[in-house]
Amino acid sequence: MSATTTLRQPALVPGGSGRSWLSRPSGGWRQTTVNKAFLLPAIVVFVLLFVIPLAQTLWWSFTDFTGYSPEASFVGLANYRVIMTDPSMLAGLGFTLLFGVGTTIAITLLAIPLAVQLNKAFVGRNLVRSIWFFPAIPSMAILGLVWRYILSPLDSGVLNTALATVGVGPLGWLSDPTLARLSVILVGVWGATGWHAVLYTAYLQSIPHEYYEVAKIDGASARQQFFGITLPLLTPAIVISTFLLMTGGLKVFDLPYTLTNGGPGFSTYTITQSIVVSGVGQGRYGLASALAVLFTVAVAALSFGQLALTRYVERRFV
Amino acid sequence: MKRRSRLAGLAAVAASAALALTACSGGGSGDPEGVTTITFLSWTGEEQMEQVIDAFEEDHPEVRVEASYAPPVAEYIQALQTRVLSGTAPDVFVIAAENKTNLIEGGHVLDLSGEDFVEGVEPFNLETYGRDGKYYGLSLSSWAAGYIYNKDLLAQVGYETVPETWDEFLEMCQKLQDAGITPFLESVDQMPTTVSAWIGAKNAEMEPSLDDQIFDGESTFAEQWTPALEQYNRVFEEGLMSKDVVGLDGDQVSAEFANGRVAVINGGPWFIASLREANPDLDFQFSLVPAMDESGTPFAAGAAAPGYAINAKSDEAKQEAAKTFLGWLAEPEAVELFQSLTNDVTVTDDFEPPVDPSFEPMVEPIRNGQLYLPMIAWQRAEDVLNVEAVAQIQRMIRGEVQPEQVAKALDTKLAAS
Repeated sequence: MSATTTLRQPALVPGGSGRSWLSRPSGGWRQTTVNKAFLLPAIVVFVLLFVIPLAQTLWWSFTDFTGYSPEASFVGLANYRVIMTDPSMLAGLGFTLLFGVGTTIAITLLAIPLAVQLNKAFVGRNLVRSIWFFPAIPSMAILGLVWRYILSPLDSGVLNTALATVGVGPLGWLSDPTLARLSVILVGVWGATGWHAVLYTAYLQSIPHEYYEVAKIDGASARQQFFGITLPLLTPAIVISTFLLMTGGLKVFDLPYTLTNGGPGFSTYTITQSIVVSGVGQGRYGLASALAVLFTVAVAALSFGQLALTRYVERRFV
Repeated sequence: MKRRSRLAGLAAVAASAALALTACSGGGSGDPEGVTTITFLSWTGEEQMEQVIDAFEEDHPEVRVEASYAPPVAEYIQALQTRVLSGTAPDVFVIAAENKTNLIEGGHVLDLSGEDFVEGVEPFNLETYGRDGKYYGLSLSSWAAGYIYNKDLLAQVGYETVPETWDEFLEMCQKLQDAGITPFLESVDQMPTTVSAWIGAKNAEMEPSLDDQIFDGESTFAEQWTPALEQYNRVFEEGLMSKDVVGLDGDQVSAEFANGRVAVINGGPWFIASLREANPDLDFQFSLVPAMDESGTPFAAGAAAPGYAINAKSDEAKQEAAKTFLGWLAEPEAVELFQSLTNDVTVTDDFEPPVDPSFEPMVEPIRNGQLYLPMIAWQRAEDVLNVEAVAQIQRMIRGEVQPEQVAKALDTKLAAS
């Protein structure tokens, strides 16, 4: 119990002493050593599964490694030059960013109001929550294949057949570059909104009911309660949700691969598809490694930027 | 004492683990006298290959085949590549379009030219997995894709079969469209069958071949491919095929055909079973792709099936045993067994494979090697060029680029690879 208090204290006091818990021996050097020893397994796993592969990838990115022979020649920045001048890879970068940002914004805007509704008492609430949560269960690759049939651009496509009954279409959902991009993003949003709504619901349940009662007594409308109480107190959940969405969105592979295979042309090509196709499919591990390095740097930069922004928002509103 | 016994226990565990690992890596060190065990990574599924291996071991008790399986294509290529890199490649494996350059250039595969068992095999198949007169893969079958047409729908506009030239074919498409029938759908999630066949027909008439000229720098994709792409683009420009094909895969096109909603599609023998199952009354037939112009000949898209290769780094005894295995696979009885299990069109001269009657027009080109698939014929950067070609052709269909720009993009890609 006391250990928990010791651990949490610096984080709870903004602008505190700044001393880390590691530098504060609570039971003499022997106890500190034992405490630190508990970190060893995690450090070993981190080094083996993250640091070493990352270092190896970095080294390969400067070579012409094919994956078939351990011998590889140093080629300097040649792989990076290829990436910077290859239109397909630049297109992949563009759609990856669009997907990451688009799904993060859309899911956040939909999941919060949905969570508020799902948090209200009504008959069959658990069933409705389960229905919304369901798309998060099957693999996105399976969902991509199913949606490929639904969004077929032919007259006989499921969605086009439905639209025809109201005199619309047929629309080239997967054959028009703009609609194809939109389709991939919409299926991504459909697949993840329920999951994130459940996350928000969990946070909503921790907001004390008394706040709303007081607000009601003061005559606050539902809208004022939402913007004055719910949204500010959901900020920690928004931080987690948007972080997960952004990192997951930037790494997306299975959904566009099965839904559009990156097409038409390169319009829904993603960076991860580029890495997999170049590395495994084309035996260009050097090039794929360079792409992976650039991608890691970009994802890290975006993630840290997003964390900084959300922390600022958190401090501002909480 | 307690500490010592714990250490002893640990040592025992380590020793048994080491023994187990040694046994694994030994690959048959415990073989009975006179028996050689070879390892084999199969491309064909376990259900079929197991029966083939059992029959081989019955005929050749002196060789034991230890098979492992990885489904084609990406998973197989990845599994084999990992094993080659780690020095644990099997004694026999499969060389395919996707890995042939790396395997041959890396010296991982044994030259099979001069072996008795390659004698009766179609040279096209051997040359597909060969270089500079050497053969590295024993490919015993081929596949081909062409057009599949609905006989009843064609009969409605007075045709019995697909015409032999592209102009005539487009004329037929126009008549079908005028009759309210969707004339033609070709999936373009892979290299279009039509383009492959036309380039193949041109390649067959050239000496040195079209690809030799491009890859030796004597010619370019822009020079050789542009006419074919321009002709292909006509079907979209004239509104005879929907541009929506860029959003379809082969299965969706096949489903349209099975439901009688389109008169002609592209496809290969893998569609036969699903078409018969989906619509038993459908009367369909395969045909070669019409010639691009009056001077050309109808041709098929297709390729030699991946070939069996022997690990150049295996020891001599295992290589000899592997040759015994490959030699047996090329014998007529083994070819017949393999064909009955897989329905592949085999290409050895001493066995005539039975095929579905609808596929008969494609058999002769397959067995004579009159096939072409750019990705297999290209001499380097095969997958890089294929990915680029498919994407650029999709863009051409959408009207984003012109045919010549597609071909030039391939030249740029080749120069950068």
